[in-house]
Amino acid sequence: MRKRWQKIVAASLSVVLLSGLVSGCGNKNEKTDSDSKEITVMIPEWGAPDDELLDQFEEETGIAVTVNEVSWDDIRDKIAIAASGGSAVADVVEVDWSWVGEFHAADWLEPLKLEKEEIEDMPTIETFTVDGDILAVPYANDFRLSYYNKEQYEKAGIEKEPETWDEVFENAKVLKEKGVSEYPIAMALNAEESAATSLMWLAYAMNGIVFNEDGTLNEESIVSALEYQDKLIKAGLIDPADKSSSGMDAYRRILSGNAAFLTGPTSFVARSNDSEQCSVVGQILPILVPGKDGKSEHTMPLPEAIGVTKFSKNKESAETFVKWYTSKEIQKELFERNSTIPTHNTVLKELIDAEKMVHTGDMLEEAKRIASPFPNGVPSYYAEMSHAIYNAVNKMATGAFSPKEAFDEMNKVVTELAGNK
Amino acid sequence: MKKALPYILLAPMMLIMGVLVFYPVIATFSYSLKKWKLTMPGDIRFIGLDNYVSVFQSSSFWYSLENTIVILVAVVLLTSVVGMLLSMFLNIETKVSGLMLAIAVLPWALPPYVNGVLWKFIFHPGYGFLNKLLLSLHVIPQPVEWLSSRWLLLLAVSLVVTWRSVPFMALVCLAGRKALPESLYEAARIDGASKAQIFRHITMPLILPFVGIGVMSTSITAINVFDEIVALSGMSDLGKNIVVESYLTTFSFLDFGKGSAITYLVLLLAAIFGIFYLKTLNREVQY
Amino acid sequence: MKKKYGYWIFMILTLICIIGPFVWAFLISVTPEYGMFSKTSGLIPSDITWENYKELLFNGSRQSRLFFTGIKNSLKAVVVTLSIGMPSAVLSAYALARMEFKGRKLIKNLLLFTMVIPVMATIIPIYHIFMDYGLLDNIFWLSVIYVSSLLPSAVWLISNYFATIPKELEEAALVDGCGTMVAFVKIILPTSVPIIISTILILFLNTWSQFQIPLILASSKMTKPIAVITSEFMTKDAVNYGITAAAGICAVVPPIILALVLRKFLVSGMTGGAVKE
Repeated sequence: MRKRWQKIVAASLSVVLLSGLVSGCGNKNEKTDSDSKEITVMIPEWGAPDDELLDQFEEETGIAVTVNEVSWDDIRDKIAIAASGGSAVADVVEVDWSWVGEFHAADWLEPLKLEKEEIEDMPTIETFTVDGDILAVPYANDFRLSYYNKEQYEKAGIEKEPETWDEVFENAKVLKEKGVSEYPIAMALNAEESAATSLMWLAYAMNGIVFNEDGTLNEESIVSALEYQDKLIKAGLIDPADKSSSGMDAYRRILSGNAAFLTGPTSFVARSNDSEQCSVVGQILPILVPGKDGKSEHTMPLPEAIGVTKFSKNKESAETFVKWYTSKEIQKELFERNSTIPTHNTVLKELIDAEKMVHTGDMLEEAKRIASPFPNGVPSYYAEMSHAIYNAVNKMATGAFSPKEAFDEMNKVVTELAGNK
Repeated sequence: MKKALPYILLAPMMLIMGVLVFYPVIATFSYSLKKWKLTMPGDIRFIGLDNYVSVFQSSSFWYSLENTIVILVAVVLLTSVVGMLLSMFLNIETKVSGLMLAIAVLPWALPPYVNGVLWKFIFHPGYGFLNKLLLSLHVIPQPVEWLSSRWLLLLAVSLVVTWRSVPFMALVCLAGRKALPESLYEAARIDGASKAQIFRHITMPLILPFVGIGVMSTSITAINVFDEIVALSGMSDLGKNIVVESYLTTFSFLDFGKGSAITYLVLLLAAIFGIFYLKTLNREVQY
Repeated sequence: MKKKYGYWIFMILTLICIIGPFVWAFLISVTPEYGMFSKTSGLIPSDITWENYKELLFNGSRQSRLFFTGIKNSLKAVVVTLSIGMPSAVLSAYALARMEFKGRKLIKNLLLFTMVIPVMATIIPIYHIFMDYGLLDNIFWLSVIYVSSLLPSAVWLISNYFATIPKELEEAALVDGCGTMVAFVKIILPTSVPIIISTILILFLNTWSQFQIPLILASSKMTKPIAVITSEFMTKDAVNYGITAAAGICAVVPPIILALVLRKFLVSGMTGGAVKE
């Protein structure tokens, strides 16, 4: 008995040792030196081009592209670690609107040159332009748009879409009283990025201002937005679950007929027409974001872009890729393949006219009202600021803070950050 | 040759540990002594212990340290007790014990992120399993917001971490029991020792080094909890521990200097426990 | 008889605690997306869909390709980790448990001490080393990092076991004229099968659930393990709980199979005493 064991163990150990050696040799990375005809792109899954498109690009330009799909927030971590060691994580990287300030301050992006005509057709490019330099080109559009469930509104006897935030509040009360919807309004209140942007676009839509010229918070505007949110929460018009589920889950309540009003991502135009995601297809209508005394004149953009890293060794090829990927033609392709909302207004219009996008409501009209709430561009301390804002909003939502206290808490941090700049 | 043999045997281990653990850990220490904020690339310089001083002065750090300690105590207690019980149970030979072992390691095999998402669905205030269950049993009149208060949140995090670390504890204890020579028991029984005496004088001392490694490893897991907290409460201030604080500082706020300092404090905290265990373990190991 | 009752009660409790969350995960995986947020108090979804599993396992869709590549990558990492980790752990453990030499205590303590070093304290310099030598996105080197984090507990476990083996056994072999290493292979290793199997299982499971290290060191499809792949089914914009839950459930299959295969050596028939006789 023991003999057999000895043999087995001895044999397996030597196999294990050998295979260790073999795999050690066989797995060596064979990286060719910087060949300008080969680039890497790091992008989240929803923005990644498929092989067919990439083959097409290689045929046209002779540039081979390797795509690394990495989830959104991990991309930023990786860029940071690589850059801290003076190297590029990829030649072309995802650049979210909220990262522009810090990437610029850290000097991680190579400025790009674009045709004037292209720039004018893409209102969201403003977000990625710092001191006249275009640091990244938007490929996926997102701006805040309002949605309401027309059928539920009618069931509650409301014939008209809401024009102002006061109407949104009054309507929601009726919807709740008549038992049409228990929590008619979906809003992100969890301690995460979406709660910070929620407060920003709400203040922007209500009062047309979020930040003062010196980068500090506009007290009057922010406090009134916080008070409005607090009023909705206290009146039981927002689901308590929205305080601890992700922003996306809060938004998605409208897709299950659970909420009747939402101001949220543009992607909900497509989502509300997809029967796999939505159980109330055809009832949800995109409308202009309400304002104080009528529809808001502005809406906040939250686009995503791609840019070329400063440490890249293949900048020329990388820039060619960025331009190609954000061109009108590819934008059309991307819409059909991934339902990415185009950043070119002309493409948007073309798709709507050709009835490729349906039930778009006021989407195109809203796109023309895009304006950035940051007077000096997205600040380099955005992450710290947003962290302070969403935590204060969440504390107000859970009842730990009054709106004024929440403001004081976030204001302390933001004022310090803005002053230190 | 004879003298060199132990060093040759140790060489692979020492090479791996030296290059991939000792060197990096020293490098990180040097980062923690620098002002190094990535958004200020022009201003990187040596500032001595300033990062540590500023960490100690922030109330946010002390708050997260409190959370770390609460999680640590809860997880270590729960895991040790449940893990030992489970190992005793798995040690009993029945027709199903093999299958039970395979089932017992399930939580460990689950990818940690999925683990977090799974529990989020259990604790969710709206459509969570726990609320649905308690509501249908009429234990609670309305849904409880498990994740909105600090202590409930920390308890939830501790439970999830315990769920994940019990299998390791059980397996290590099981391995320890297998190491006990049967002959010792027989000798003790012949000498007329009672069950309690056998446990106290034979099982306990012999199994202790194994339990020790389990407790040590669990403590370190508990100090380093990250995925579960992020899955259950995001980057919220409410439930953050020092690891979340260090992640936020390093990667969200891009302050590599201060972030490294907090990471070092995590290490220091773990080291305090490490030294304590080392002392107890080394005393007990006498065969 | 009374004892048996206790056993069964404990077993049922254990099953509820362990399997319960999995059953819940399973329910999530068969609930259609829109049904997940409905406020019904019922525990079982009204509509059931198998789409997530079809998507994940058959369709040849993007997700299924990713899933299977992830499983393959994880398995490769496990093989490399075991191939490097086990021999170095066994050899080190033997030296530390059975030999007297200068610095033994220091090395043992230092090794055990590395257990307290968190990933965050080493990952940035490791990334820089990997970047400089072109080792990123490489399963072999990724696994070497796993080994470095798993070695301390593996060595400690095995060396504690070695220490319980009576010295006389080995001495007898040495008297017979065998060299130290021959005695090691002939005497020590065969008696240590249970601990070696346990350690293999522990290394396997720990490698399988690695998350933070590959999250930072692996970016390409060809290196990302299944734990990272499943996390990426949930993204900032496209949250898909159903398929994430389905992927989580399917990802525990390989470790379960291993545990089932190894259980024989761990539980029945191989009690320590029987072998050591």
